[in-house]
Amino acid sequence: MRPLRIGQALAVLALLASGAACTAREKVVIQYDCIPNYANWGGVTALYKAVAGVTIPPDPKGSSVAMAALEKEARHPVADCAYYSGAIGYQAAAKGLHQPYRPKGWERIPGDLKDARGLWWTVHTATIAFIVNTKALNGAPVPRSWADLLKPDYKGMIAYDDPTWGGTSYTLVYGINVLEGGDATHWKPGLDYLKRLDRNVAAYPRESIYNGVLRGETPIWINADGNGYKMRYVDGAPVEVVIPSEGTFTMPLVMGMAKGAPHPEATRRYFDWLLTPAAQAEFAKAFFRPVVAGTLPADLAAKFLPASEYGRARSLDLAAMAGAADGLKRAWLETVRGAR
Amino acid sequence: MGRASAERARAAPGGFLLALPLLLFFASAVLWPVLDLLRSSLGREGGEALRAVLREDRYRLALLHSVLLSAAASAGSLLLAAIPAWVLARDDFPGKRVARALILLPLTFSGVMVGFLTLVMLGRVGAVPTVARFLTGAPIGSGAAYTLVGLFLAYLYFEVPRATVALESAFRRLPRDVDRAARTLGAGRWTRLRRLTIPMLAPAIRSTLAITFSASMGSFGVALILARRFSVAPLEVYTELTGFQNDAAAGVLCLLLAAITLVVDRLLARGRA
Repeated sequence: MRPLRIGQALAVLALLASGAACTAREKVVIQYDCIPNYANWGGVTALYKAVAGVTIPPDPKGSSVAMAALEKEARHPVADCAYYSGAIGYQAAAKGLHQPYRPKGWERIPGDLKDARGLWWTVHTATIAFIVNTKALNGAPVPRSWADLLKPDYKGMIAYDDPTWGGTSYTLVYGINVLEGGDATHWKPGLDYLKRLDRNVAAYPRESIYNGVLRGETPIWINADGNGYKMRYVDGAPVEVVIPSEGTFTMPLVMGMAKGAPHPEATRRYFDWLLTPAAQAEFAKAFFRPVVAGTLPADLAAKFLPASEYGRARSLDLAAMAGAADGLKRAWLETVRGAR
Repeated sequence: MGRASAERARAAPGGFLLALPLLLFFASAVLWPVLDLLRSSLGREGGEALRAVLREDRYRLALLHSVLLSAAASAGSLLLAAIPAWVLARDDFPGKRVARALILLPLTFSGVMVGFLTLVMLGRVGAVPTVARFLTGAPIGSGAAYTLVGLFLAYLYFEVPRATVALESAFRRLPRDVDRAARTLGAGRWTRLRRLTIPMLAPAIRSTLAITFSASMGSFGVALILARRFSVAPLEVYTELTGFQNDAAAGVLCLLLAAITLVVDRLLARGRA
């Protein structure tokens, strides 16, 4: 028995050692907020592995959590970069968590979608929409407006992410306030609407519920439009994307290079690649609109709702959003989710 | 000085050396983080945070939920675990090892996974409401996963195995001859259970309750998935840390959780000779 055991132990040790050696040689870039089924990060990172041999591991943090992690680790950085919804990326840059880098193709990013120094820049954009699993509605009509969502038909059917977790939902919370007549310091109109909506809300998830919507667990998810198109066209689910009639909001999704990134050169090359037509078209497969004009393949462009629908989407002031972020998120927590 | 204690004295330095790895581990994995936690929650911001935590309903209700859920899960798992633990400890039957492995299986699942399993069973379109609709026409249990009851059931899921392990070894140590003697002296089944078995088991029952209670108090993953319309204390810690980088409030909540758990543990330990 004994020699066999020693042999086994040696084999295990050898395996562990070879594993460690592999990790040491492997080229990696660590990106916080790299959720495989959000914006096709799964496909994008797999493509980058194929073309450059660099691994970008998946990471389940939402924007806010990614920023919190960068802040916690500021003295001993672990991450090379992070992906955020615009306002949170702006806030992270303002907190001094980023270092500047202007990737190749910089001039093709519209001026209002990047920081002049390169502390953050937009990689693609999305629009807040209703993602509706029509089969799970139990016969209720597809909601067409923010007002519709308040109807008792939709009790227990609606979800939007906890805005203290995800930036997409923070965009929604900020945007609905603007739509209801509030502004960067006057939040009551938006919070009042969300409080009324709360009666119909089943969940404020703190993880991606993409699969839950596919299964019909959550019939109505207020989230980025692209996730809904992907459910419909890639996963073949009975899903409809609705741009509410009162209007909605566009959301830039941005990258920022972490201050003290452990793999700075690899990160810069990765950022350069993200703006190439190949990478931009890969994001488009998940129906996130490429920031570089002309890289959205025509067959995919045809699957979006017509431009007239998108005419109702307005852009939001990132600086004002970032300034309101902490206060508005806490106000949401206290008045909408409340104590229960 | 007796021979035994002289030997013990000689063994001490060697024992210390042997314990050194554990001590180092304890210092780095327990002591240091706890001191860091105390520093961040007892500082100037800590007093402010403590007042906020004690004053605001959101935190107080989260703590209350934690305590009630943990107490319920602890009591419920004790009741549910008693019979399997008894059978595993006292009876021999074919497939016993497989049965034990199956009962213990949930212990290997992470909390997040248990949360998703609960959704699959008791979600809005979960297995239970689907079957119920088929049988009765009404989707009974639909969305129960998101309620306190759903979270309670999910806690039971991993507390029952924990309680089974703890109780089984206690049942195994139960001296059978005392029971036989009582029977010979004419004590009936209930008298024996009431006067002998339960008093002898009392320490094990108390420690089982303590183990499951403290595990539930600290449980996070299940609540992260299920507690979407109400909160428990570990979730508030997460929200304060990740949503607002508010170390002081998170630290204060952690300390309150730890304090409650310790007090309950001490109360249960009293009389556990």
